[in-house]
Amino acid sequence: MGSEKNKKYIIENEVEELPNLAEKIEKLGESWDLSQAITMNVNLVMEEALSNIIFYAFNDKKKHEIEIYVSIKKNKLTITFKDDGVPFNPLSQQKPDINLPAEERPVGGLGIFLMSQIMDEMHYNRQKNKNILTLAKDI
Amino acid sequence: MDIKKEKIENFTVLKINGRIDTIQSSVLENEVNQSFENGEKNLILNCKGMNYISSSGLRIFLVAKKRAIALNGKLHLCNMQPSIQEIFKISGFSNLFKIFETQEAALENKQ
Repeated sequence: MGSEKNKKYIIENEVEELPNLAEKIEKLGESWDLSQAITMNVNLVMEEALSNIIFYAFNDKKKHEIEIYVSIKKNKLTITFKDDGVPFNPLSQQKPDINLPAEERPVGGLGIFLMSQIMDEMHYNRQKNKNILTLAKDI
Repeated sequence: MDIKKEKIENFTVLKINGRIDTIQSSVLENEVNQSFENGEKNLILNCKGMNYISSSGLRIFLVAKKRAIALNGKLHLCNMQPSIQEIFKISGFSNLFKIFETQEAALENKQ
């Protein structure tokens, strides 16, 4: 323990990339000796962040690369996403009212909220032409 | 992901196996819609084999619940794994659904 672990992934802006990545994260969880619950949460955060980017960040029909960095340092898990899509700050999204009854609950808008609840920290930066979203959690 | 459908008493039981994610949530959506369209308004979603859910999956659960309410039907959940229960809790979905420990308990609940 105490040693730093790093992993980088690059995917294209295609939703079909997600199941592949989920399998890679399962394997990463095993080799880094993460609990199943933590691995599931990493996968959930990945899916929520990346599906948002894939569905909403790009106005053209071109291929784009999305970079994903996962690291553990001193029991702190950090996940960073970089994309060259339109500027979008997930932290500026309105939080859903989770106390509404089913009839009044709007459908959707839960992805970013889930990420923020699962992780302890969430930071957004726009650098040059890139969105940089960083999430961290003590594990 | 696969879904097994079974009719027990006046309930339609859908047994969910696997991941409910962005890619696969439409499988569940179609099964639920099909049941409602067949006039089966009392559903039990048995979540014993469901080991992952994302917001796109939660969306299907909420839409199904709204539809069951509109039809004066029931939508019960049962056998949910603890890690999935946690997702339901943090998204406020624990308050929207009756979540039973066993399928038998869900079948007995007539409310």
